[in-house]
Amino acid sequence: MYIELHARSAFSFLEGASLPEELAALCKELGMPSMAVLDRDGFYGSPRFHLAAQKEGIRAHIGAEVTSESGWRYPLLVTSRGGYQNLCRLITRMKLRAPKGEGAVTPAEVTEHATGLICLTGGDEGPLAHALANGGVECATECIRGLCESFGAENVYIELQRHLCREEEARNQAAIEIARKMHLPLLATNGVCQAQPRQRELLDVFTCIRHHRTLSTAGRLLARNSERHLKSPQEMLRLFSDLPEAIANTKGLASRLKFELSDLGYKFPNYPVPDGKPQIHFLRERTFEGMIGRYGTDNEDARAQIDRELALIEKLELAGYFLIVWDIVQFCKQRNILVQGRGSAANSAVCYALGITAVDPIKMKLLFERFLSENRGEWPDIDLDLPSGDQRERAIQYVYERYGKLGAAMTANVITYRGRSAAREIGKVLSFEPEMLDRLSSLVGGWEFKNEHDTLPQYFQDAGLDLNHQLIRKFLQLCTAVQDLPRHLGQHSGGMVVCQGHLDSVVPLEPAAIPGRVVVQWDKEDCAGMGIVKVDLLGLGMMAVLEESIQLIRNDYQEEVDLAHLPPDDKTVYAALQKADTVGMFQIESRAQMSCLPRLQPKCFYDIVVQVAIIRPGPIVGEMVNPYLKRRQKREAVDCLHPDLEPVLGRTLGIPLFQEQLLRMAMITAGFSGGDAEELRRALGFKRSERRMKEIETKLRLGMEKKGITPGVQEKIIRSITSFALYGFPESHAASFALLAYASAYLKCHYLAAFTAAMLNNQPMGFYNAATLVKDAQRHGLRVRPIDITCSEWLCTLEKAEKEPGGFFLRLGLRYVKGLREEVGKQIAIERAAKPFASIEDLKLRVPRLHKSEMAALAAIGALNFITGRRGMHRREALWQIERTARRPGPLLELSQGGEMSRPQDHSTIGSTQSSAVSPLAPMTTEERLVADFHGTGMTVGPHPMAFRRVEMRQKGIRCAGELGTIPDGSPVRIAGSVIARQRPGTAKGFVFLSMEDETGIANAIITPQLFEQNRATIIHNQFLLVEGILQNLDNVISVKAKSIAPLLITRAETASHDFH
Amino acid sequence: MVFAAIYILDFSVQAAIRVEPSLRDSAVALVDGVPPQVKVVAANGRAFQAGTELGMARNVADQFESVQIRPRSHLHEKAAHAALLDFGWSISPRIEDTAPDTIVIDLAGLSSLFGSQENIARRLLQQIVALGLTAHIAIASNIDAAIHAARGFSGITLIPSGEESKHLGSLPVGVLRPSPETLDTLELWGVRTCEALAALPVLQLSERLGQEGVRLHEWAQGAGARSLVLADPATCFEEGIVLEDSVEELEPLSFLLGRLLDQLCMRLTARSLAISIIRLRFSLDPSGREDVQRRGNSNISARLKKKSSVFETAISLPVPIRDSKLLLKLLRLKLQSDPPQAPIQKIFVAAEPAKPRALQADLFLPSSPHAEKVELIIARLANLVGDSNIGSPHLLDTHHPDAFCMDHFTPAGAEPKAPQRKKPLKSNRPYWGVKPEIEKPALGFRMFRPSLPASVHLQEGLPKSVLIRGTHGKVIGASGPWRTSGDWWREDNWHQDEWDLEIRFQLPSDPLEIHSASRPQHGLYRFHFDSLQRKWFVRGIYD
Repeated sequence: MYIELHARSAFSFLEGASLPEELAALCKELGMPSMAVLDRDGFYGSPRFHLAAQKEGIRAHIGAEVTSESGWRYPLLVTSRGGYQNLCRLITRMKLRAPKGEGAVTPAEVTEHATGLICLTGGDEGPLAHALANGGVECATECIRGLCESFGAENVYIELQRHLCREEEARNQAAIEIARKMHLPLLATNGVCQAQPRQRELLDVFTCIRHHRTLSTAGRLLARNSERHLKSPQEMLRLFSDLPEAIANTKGLASRLKFELSDLGYKFPNYPVPDGKPQIHFLRERTFEGMIGRYGTDNEDARAQIDRELALIEKLELAGYFLIVWDIVQFCKQRNILVQGRGSAANSAVCYALGITAVDPIKMKLLFERFLSENRGEWPDIDLDLPSGDQRERAIQYVYERYGKLGAAMTANVITYRGRSAAREIGKVLSFEPEMLDRLSSLVGGWEFKNEHDTLPQYFQDAGLDLNHQLIRKFLQLCTAVQDLPRHLGQHSGGMVVCQGHLDSVVPLEPAAIPGRVVVQWDKEDCAGMGIVKVDLLGLGMMAVLEESIQLIRNDYQEEVDLAHLPPDDKTVYAALQKADTVGMFQIESRAQMSCLPRLQPKCFYDIVVQVAIIRPGPIVGEMVNPYLKRRQKREAVDCLHPDLEPVLGRTLGIPLFQEQLLRMAMITAGFSGGDAEELRRALGFKRSERRMKEIETKLRLGMEKKGITPGVQEKIIRSITSFALYGFPESHAASFALLAYASAYLKCHYLAAFTAAMLNNQPMGFYNAATLVKDAQRHGLRVRPIDITCSEWLCTLEKAEKEPGGFFLRLGLRYVKGLREEVGKQIAIERAAKPFASIEDLKLRVPRLHKSEMAALAAIGALNFITGRRGMHRREALWQIERTARRPGPLLELSQGGEMSRPQDHSTIGSTQSSAVSPLAPMTTEERLVADFHGTGMTVGPHPMAFRRVEMRQKGIRCAGELGTIPDGSPVRIAGSVIARQRPGTAKGFVFLSMEDETGIANAIITPQLFEQNRATIIHNQFLLVEGILQNLDNVISVKAKSIAPLLITRAETASHDFH
Repeated sequence: MVFAAIYILDFSVQAAIRVEPSLRDSAVALVDGVPPQVKVVAANGRAFQAGTELGMARNVADQFESVQIRPRSHLHEKAAHAALLDFGWSISPRIEDTAPDTIVIDLAGLSSLFGSQENIARRLLQQIVALGLTAHIAIASNIDAAIHAARGFSGITLIPSGEESKHLGSLPVGVLRPSPETLDTLELWGVRTCEALAALPVLQLSERLGQEGVRLHEWAQGAGARSLVLADPATCFEEGIVLEDSVEELEPLSFLLGRLLDQLCMRLTARSLAISIIRLRFSLDPSGREDVQRRGNSNISARLKKKSSVFETAISLPVPIRDSKLLLKLLRLKLQSDPPQAPIQKIFVAAEPAKPRALQADLFLPSSPHAEKVELIIARLANLVGDSNIGSPHLLDTHHPDAFCMDHFTPAGAEPKAPQRKKPLKSNRPYWGVKPEIEKPALGFRMFRPSLPASVHLQEGLPKSVLIRGTHGKVIGASGPWRTSGDWWREDNWHQDEWDLEIRFQLPSDPLEIHSASRPQHGLYRFHFDSLQRKWFVRGIYD
């Protein structure tokens, strides 16, 4: 019997070529009862290996290779929980004092943490090989003696590896000699770096990436052969036929490795309750306080639900968790940081009462079990949405402060090789030129929809690469093989884990790229798999927009808006939604959402919840959208499939739209338990598998059979459930998002200037770019003023305008000047606040960090036009002046030029001098201004480029977007505009959707796959298009089904589009 | 003073057409890059009209049937430039080498020979066409005005003195070749023509664009006067001859080469220089290649590119030489070992000059042959054994057994600054070393190059007997396999299992004829099994 006790997974980052799951599966296949994965300086792959091993029915031994100060590595195996904790602490200590990706341990530290660990002498990179290379057998004997002193002689094994290499075998003979002399056991391992021999190619590629070499220059850095794969016990027996004890010892050592990751010893911290009360009492008090605020004192339903939830929380000993989340929410509220819980937490009345969530689960009849279930044996998951940026960082830092550096950490995010990164790195290794790499990486990825022509070979053909070339073939193979293998460890955007005691005893910690942060070695899935509770503090752009809008409304409108108390049935909001006038509104602004809104005609909050959930891949692919809309419009009868399902499906008119409904359907019709339903949910989740879906389908059929459901109905139910295999929203999540959607719609409808300013200040976010947001706001009557150095701040601001309908102008901020650095922009605003600038010269003197290129950018967009006063100058005058300012002569020359500039510190005189310098340049033409605006800011606050050509367009029979509603369905039309979005969604079978903007609004064109293929280049590369086709008006959802497409030359301005993939 | 500026449009393409005049009326695109990433880097107007674009991949460009694709050659460009300069010098000793595609000639005194400026221009144009190039020519009394007019206007442009501004006004400012930054500024200003630039006040322009602004302004006006920057005489000496009848035999070729070498050496002697590298370039007659091959003239493989009609070779000399006879001998030996495979139409001999060696022999060092003689011997040996089989061996950084290359042999002291080869990469895998006191006596190993074919009989995966050159041997002891594989990304990847075998041969004689008759007929050999060829070989023997 042989057990592999020294293997690296791909989580040794560029030193292993196989995923832990692959190793576990092969281990099982080869008949080994257990195996050890020792990743470099961490337990990065251990959770996945542990879970995969559990699934395969084998044992996963835990260990790591730890880098020593001398450069070699201790291969360490864990025997007990104490040993695991020691190794975690050792790695954490080493990592936290060194830059990311570096660090080494001292012999003293190793001795200090040696309890519960077994040390092998390693292969090429182990202590024995290092000592032999540096001082021969004598030095090696000394080294082994040192290991015996640190770990105890009974915990040191002399490791032998045989990769059919002469030098290695010579080393083995020396090792055997030392082992015999010191009476130490021999241990055969294969120093595995890959599961299969063929993966050696990938390993060589990783070696090149690690050493910044190419395959042709890496030389002997590459592997000598392909022998470092996981070998069968028979093969290893054959290799070590002369040393049977080395094989036998693997079994003996494996039996000593008692520790498994399921014995992690993780405990969630207790919340420090005042007066030493039990946590659950304190939680009950806070919950009932909150309940009175939310439900009043006489809501029996709420009371009963909260009692039920608290009883379960007490039983599962989760009071501390709820209190800690409540504590974070309290912190945010005290500091006016908007915070809202989302996800399944919104199913909990306790969370609602505590103020963690804003959705009333009782009113919405949400399923509490979806959040917390006694049977599930899983920690609840609460996600908190916070405004992205500084506010979220404040909340994160609060958690660090509260639980200490070693008590809280961010979860990791494993960065894997994906299409573009894989193509780029492998191309480099194969010595492709940078230009070719750019071309390839821009090709790979592409749009979401993949037809039979969208294959990697096709991309290469398009890029002019010869597929018959050996290098290209290898490139293709490697790109495919490397997909999803880990590249390096990043930091998750918001997942935090906290721990009772020291987190560094549970999982090694590392410094994060952001100062002051530490990150655990596992990603959030692994943490969840290991039963570690996490709190997600997620940054949401729309939260930042809402927060900033409220602030602007408070400061400029002198009004207070409380998002928790918005009028629930605002007519203006619903009117806008029904017209699909939703540009900028959270979750309901996309083209697909807009094409659904006029048919759904939302009239109440629950309609928005449905609207948010319905345009998702699940309902779309499951073909549930149209039946739902038809039933809503009373064009189709409501059918709940089975009378028992009426309570579940009734409010969505018999169509399952939410995850909870599917779970309940399974529970009611097939008698699924909570655990079964949870398994179904997982099968429907992100990491879905066909095989699991089939298993569940069989189970569903059996269950329904027992309940006597007829085969026809069975089929319908199965289809409803399985077609949901693509991701759909849970109802609670949709409700949380719907709240934000309503809030954003309310602010847009009633405080357009503030909302637009906040949207512009938080770009990039959402579906549309800033230019489209500005044009939409202008069409709604907002006056947007251009960037002006005399009054623009860094951010967009509001300016009082008594005569304006909304009462405010929007002034574009300096942040929209392309190429202007933020610190310089802010410095301009500060200096101007102290005293207005008198001239360009004055500006340059007072903001000396302003580069010439930045001044030119400001001048080109007209931001300097009024610097010398309201009389103003044209853009080229400013451009003329800045060139001189940027090349100011020295003071001596200035004096010699007649003393005009003799007192440069007297800023007021500078202005007059400069303004008198007359520019010989002609003012910009309209077209030039348009070009400069788009080039310099990505937008124009003047007329839309199409407006300048409207007369000509009319002569060509081109209709504008605003008038399409008046044209009968089925009429042939011509439309034209700047393309603001190109979409080729995976759910649309190759159809392409274009959103084209003109001065009156946005028109949508639908392009068939055939037409797209014929006009691919025209559609992708042209900013302005002319589309001719048939107008479709389906319940006021207007689009043009394209018959022909042609490029249109409207302007040279660089308008931009959002192309979705 | 009157100057003529000559500007060669699409210079790279014209340089290629000059070597291959049949392309003159074709759409031509030049490609460059390392396969498989070859792309279009230049093209003429016809090629652009046909749909070719710069940056287009070679195989895409190949789809345009009317477009002739040729590799870009810097040598051709250099030659074309040299030809342009030669042409200039043939007209006047006062020429300016303005750019690879532009020269300016001082026309002083030419009117008495050729008449009016227009006549001179026509004549220049004709002669340039004869050189295989198409040019734009502008004549003006202002050097820069002539240059800019040549770049901006096609054909012949004559600018009377004082009318420079009027003539240049309509040209885009790009012809003045301002710095990219200044070009951006002018674009922002809306200043797009020379006329617009000339209209700007110069003082204010100088405040903004500095000296470059003043210079551009002056150029835009056609004003300013500067002297011709006389071109330095050539630093690379080249002589060439275009043959009326193609040469196929070495003897007549040697005669011609000798003449060219004499001329070169004379020029170099006049300037007290010698030759450090001698380059030979032949334009070949592609139609004659098959005939030559059919006649089987070549018994040594020539490195002639299949599609190329140019043959090039060079000899790098260990010390600068200007002995034309020695040079001729070296070239003859080179051509004997590596002959062109088609009749020769044009011969170019270029010399890279260097200071001649002035070295006194060291009294305290043993005498050694003159470097020149060593070089001659090496050339003779190379002629016998082939270029790749002579020199100093150098190990390559690879796991491939016995991978080495041959560097040029340079006697010690002959080349004080011989180019240093990069040290081989240090492997990240530590090499197992032992202290001297326990080191066993090292075995000598003699390697067979190439390895000898053998057959090996295996039993349970272990070699039991071998057959080499018809002689059987019994394996007494075996160690292995020692496995290496590599270069898996290339067509010539490899995978070998090596075995160290102790063999007792059954016949009294050693099949490898290594051991003397008096020695026992068994020994320790290294075999290897090539897994891709599925064949066994003997790599060598341990002594």
